[in-house]
Order: sequence, then C-alpha cells, then structure tokens
Amino acid sequence: MNDQSTPIFGNLDELEVKLSRTKSWGGLETEASYGPADPQEPTYAKKLGDPGQFPFTRGAYPKMYRSRMWTLRNIVGYGAPEDTREGLEMVLASGGNGINIVVDPLTTQSIDPDHPAFGPEVGLEGCSLPTSRDIDRLLHGVDLSKVDTAWHWAAMAYPMVAAVHVMRGQPLATLQGSNMPDMLQETLCGWGERLVPTMLGHRTTVDEIEYSVRNSPRWALGMPQAYDLRERGLTPAGEIALGMAFINKTMEDLIERGLHVDEVAPSLAWVSTSDIDFFEEVAKFRALRRYWATTMRDRFGAQDARSMRLRIACHTSGKSLVYKQPLNNLTRTAIQGFAALCGGVQSLEACTFDEPVCVPTHEARDLAIRQQQILANEVGAARVADPLGGSWYVEALTDAVEAEAVAMLARIEQIGLLTAITNGTIERMMDEHNLLVQRELDEGERIMVGVNRFVPDEEPAPTRFTFDRTNTEKHVRRFIELKQTRDRTRWRDALRTVYAVARSGGNPIGPMIDAFVADASVAEVWGAVRVAHGYSYDPYNALEAPLDYAN
Amino acid sequence: MQTDFQAEQAEDQPIVRCLLGMLGTDVHSKGIRTIAQLLREAGVEVIYLGEHNSVQGMARAAIDEDADLVGLSFSSAAYVEYTRQLVAEMKRIGADDIPVMLGGIIHPDDHQALYDMGVRGIFGAGSKTADIIAFVRSMGRPR
Repeated sequence: MNDQSTPIFGNLDELEVKLSRTKSWGGLETEASYGPADPQEPTYAKKLGDPGQFPFTRGAYPKMYRSRMWTLRNIVGYGAPEDTREGLEMVLASGGNGINIVVDPLTTQSIDPDHPAFGPEVGLEGCSLPTSRDIDRLLHGVDLSKVDTAWHWAAMAYPMVAAVHVMRGQPLATLQGSNMPDMLQETLCGWGERLVPTMLGHRTTVDEIEYSVRNSPRWALGMPQAYDLRERGLTPAGEIALGMAFINKTMEDLIERGLHVDEVAPSLAWVSTSDIDFFEEVAKFRALRRYWATTMRDRFGAQDARSMRLRIACHTSGKSLVYKQPLNNLTRTAIQGFAALCGGVQSLEACTFDEPVCVPTHEARDLAIRQQQILANEVGAARVADPLGGSWYVEALTDAVEAEAVAMLARIEQIGLLTAITNGTIERMMDEHNLLVQRELDEGERIMVGVNRFVPDEEPAPTRFTFDRTNTEKHVRRFIELKQTRDRTRWRDALRTVYAVARSGGNPIGPMIDAFVADASVAEVWGAVRVAHGYSYDPYNALEAPLDYAN
Repeated sequence: MQTDFQAEQAEDQPIVRCLLGMLGTDVHSKGIRTIAQLLREAGVEVIYLGEHNSVQGMARAAIDEDADLVGLSFSSAAYVEYTRQLVAEMKRIGADDIPVMLGGIIHPDDHQALYDMGVRGIFGAGSKTADIIAFVRSMGRPR
C-alpha cells in the first residue's frame, strides 16, 4: 500500500495555475492592490481594510493571488474506483491541480452497493466507494500526507479516508485533504429526516469537526456547505444568513466540548457558489468575509487572525445553467468564475457546460479547465486583489447583502436553528424563494436565455457521458466477496464499539475509523450509529442490521 | 399568471388527482416541489409523496390515492430503469390504466423508449409551466 510510484499524481506542483504576468495585456505595470490615499481613515479601516487586514472584506491575504494562486479544481467521479481513477488522471493531464472526488448518491447516503433497491444507481452519478479498500484502490500511490484530496461528501468521508491513512501505517496528524462535514444541509436539501435526522446530523457534524481538529489539524473542513443550500433555494444574502446560523450553532457546541474558537475556525472553509449576477456575487463574497471576521472576533472571542480570515471554496452554480443550447453555459460559467475570483475565493471549480445534461463528458471537463487558464493568463483575474473595491456600486451592494443577511440570521436564531429546521420554517423559506423565481420566469419578469426567451426551435440532442458498466459490476461482486472473507470477529467487535460509544453519548469517529480498518462498510458503520441513536439500521427499511450490537 | 391559470379551470372540468414523487436515492427535489405548488394553485389535487419512494410504494399509492396521474421527477441517470420497474409494478397490481408522466433531466435519446413503455408525458428541462398544467388537466377522469 505504500507504493508511491504512479507518476501522474507526483507532479501536481508543475500543474498549478500560476500568475504569469503582473502587467496588463497592454503592458502597463500594476500593483498587488489599490486603495485610498489614507488607509487609516476610520470608515475604510473599519468596513474594508486593506486586503489581508481585518475585517478581510477586501481579501484573505495581502497579495491575494500573487502570493497564493487559487486552486483549479475539477470534480470527477463515476463507476468503480478504477473508472474514477482514470478520470482523475485525465484531469491532471489537462492541468487541473486538485483532486476532487464525487461519490455516488448511494455512498453519500451510506448505502452499500448491494442494497436490494438501488442496483441501477451504483456508480452512476459518482464513484461507488463503500469500503476503505475502495478508497485505497482509487488513490493507490497517492500519498495522503502530501496530496490534497477534496471530497464532495459529508461526515463519512473523513473516517474512511483516515482509515486508509492508518492502514498505510501513517499517523493521523499528517493527514491532508478536505471534506464537507455539514450534515444539516443534507437534511434540508432532499435527504430529509429519514436519511439525516436533524439532531443526529448536527451531532455527527460536531463529532467529526471535534475529532478532526484534535487529531488531524492539517485536514480542512468545508463548513458550512452553503453551495447545496443556495442550489436548493436561497439568495446570496440567504446563503450568508443560513450558513452563519450553521456556523454559530456548531461553534457553540464545539466550545461546550472544551474547544476554543481558535482551535476550530482556522480549519474551516466556506463552500460557496457563484451564480450569474456578477456584481451581486462579488458583493456576497466580500460581505461574507466581513461578517465572518466580525462574528469570530466579537461573538466567539477569536484572537488568532487565521480564525477571522475566511477562506472560501467556490463551485459555480449548476442550477443557473441551461439545457437548451448548452454551449451558452460556457459564457455563464466564465462570468461566474470571474466573479468568484474578483470576490477572492481560494479554490474554484467551474461547472462543465453539459452540467444540465449529464455527468461531465471528458471534452466538457477539458474546456472547464481551459476556461480557468484563460481567466488566469489572459483576462488578468489574478493580478490585483479586490479589483472592484471602492466601486460605489459594489460597496453599496456589499453593505446591502450583509444587511439583509444579518436580518435573516436574526430571524432564524430567534426561532433557533434546529427548531427552524425540524418545524419546516427553513424548508418553507426555500420553497417560497423557488416559487417566486419560477413565477417571475413564467411571467417573463425574469428572463433566462434558452429558458423563457430566445429559445432555439430545434437542436440536435446533446452528447451525454456514458461509460462501460463492466468495472462497476465487478466492483459490486468484489464488495460482496469482501463481506464473506473479512475477519468476522474483528469486524463485529469494531462495530460493537462504534455502537457502544455512540450510545453512551461519546464521540464515535475514532471507533468508526477502526471499523473501516476492520473492513466494515459505509452502511454498516453509519447503521451502527443510527441504531445507537434509536433509528432503523437501513433508512429505507429494506435491510436488517447484520449483527446484534449488544452482545 | 397565477390568476390566469386559476381562471382557466372551467366549472365542468373534473378535478384532477395527481400523485407526485421521486424514486431511488435522488435528492434533487427542488423542481418537483415547485411544480407541486404551481399545480395546486391551478386547481389540481396534488398528493406529494416526496423523495426516496420504492417502486412498490409508489405503485401502491397510485391505487390507494385514486390518482388520475402519476408524475415522477428524476435528476439521476437511472430513470429509464426505474420507470420500467414502476410501469411493470403498476401493471402487476392492476394500475396500468393510470398514466405516468416524467420530469427532470430526461435525455431526448430516451424519449422513444419511455413512450414505448407507456409513459404519456415527458417534461424535461425547459418545459413551460403552462404546458405541464394543461397536460395534467387533460388527464382528469370523470368520477
């Protein structure tokens, strides 16, 4: 398992997007940032500050992309681990420098690929990864202490990837990468109480963050996962409001467990989106950083600048893209990506133009990478920090987005976040937003090209991504074989420990890592936690627990 | 437009009972939730089953709810197989007289196969709300 020989993953540094030029395209030299003649002027210092200075409205770092280029990310995931590995190699060969892995809906829901109801879905919309051995297959030769793997996956990604690191004989303290431990967003974004009960979901998020910051401080936590919340139905101001409600509640619970804000906040990164309104998105990123910094300092007593300096991971909006004339989506994602960079994000994934059609084709993925290379090298998106700072319009919009967010956050916190989720307030709020947008589209008050205006009459059916299912079928057979051949005593004892610790109110993440090392599957490990909290083993109620936890 | 749709509901038209839901692990329920509300406002009786139904549960509900129409939304590529399973199950329990419509991400290359299975309406990305409402209304049965 320690074979580090595969060369394609070895030269990530060379693939990094780099700032190629500080001069404008016309040859004028530029500064790293621009600002008022007197940066100590009180209103400027309080509301904006120079880039890299509190409240970080103008950016997380003084020289922004001149000192730290954004990470060009591209998501990959389909079929068996072997299939996704092939896709990752293609991304890296095109010049992407982050490994971002999407797992299939079954795996994200902690459902095994041999579940009787969901055979047709295994590996269809992401990679099927039911065991740590599968993750090891996917990342064979990838040193998890050196290469940053990003998982579009909630709490279970962490114990599974940690288990691979442990199985390879490496200490957890050296584990690198990131996942998105936010489970409450799942409750709200279609998983519902059945798959992610609010209380258990929130608790698991807190468990994972606590365990990770105590044991693997180099592991980053994409929290909140505001991307899906926006896609489900929120405005930019709503993204800040609900995301901060998640952060505040989670931070309060972590502090109650004895952690200090400065032990937690530096590991967090906001997972955001960039929708089609360029100026409003730029304003959102700036307002978000300002509100975050103020909250960390004033509400939680942060002293470490790294706690107040928010890092943002951005994936452009999938919902904003249009099925008809899908090449128009390249125009949309270019502008959304540019907004994210003008807003100062730390990593950027652009949706592929065929996002509304299917899982990305290889060609579409290639173009998404080229788009960022054009932004970096030709457009000059990386040259100057906060290029729109000081624009009367953008500053007014930044203030307006923040004010609306603060008002909405106050309404949520008055009800209490968890109550507002369980009693349906938040879901209703998002439904109302979606209904309003649909009405405006139906009435023609809001126009989208190819949706309600400028719709082409006839066009050929779009190309869609297909792949050979042979590997997936073999993968499912291999999974069933593993369940028959693993060390049953070790497996059973490990799951019983998960159950016992969860049941006693302890943090089960450590025992979960041990269970994955003992070849337990994702459904078995999460099922043990579910049963310990009084829920059915299988959320779909088609399977019984595979063992008696109590004996 | 909301009032326009309501006005179009003529006195002598039967009330349509439309069962809406999703199959499999798909969580992309934004579209179907919005359509459910727009149909309700247009005078349709919507029985909204939500996400994560089994094929058996969905077919059974079509009978139990005395539905005129079953509407499914998919954003997972497994829709051809799931629709095939649902249509077979509805036939098995004697519900094959209840029409099925699909929405969501449905690729044109699959339309014929779906119509051949017996699917009556397909409303993929870019469909107009008015067209969906008109189709649903046309599926009402005299009671």
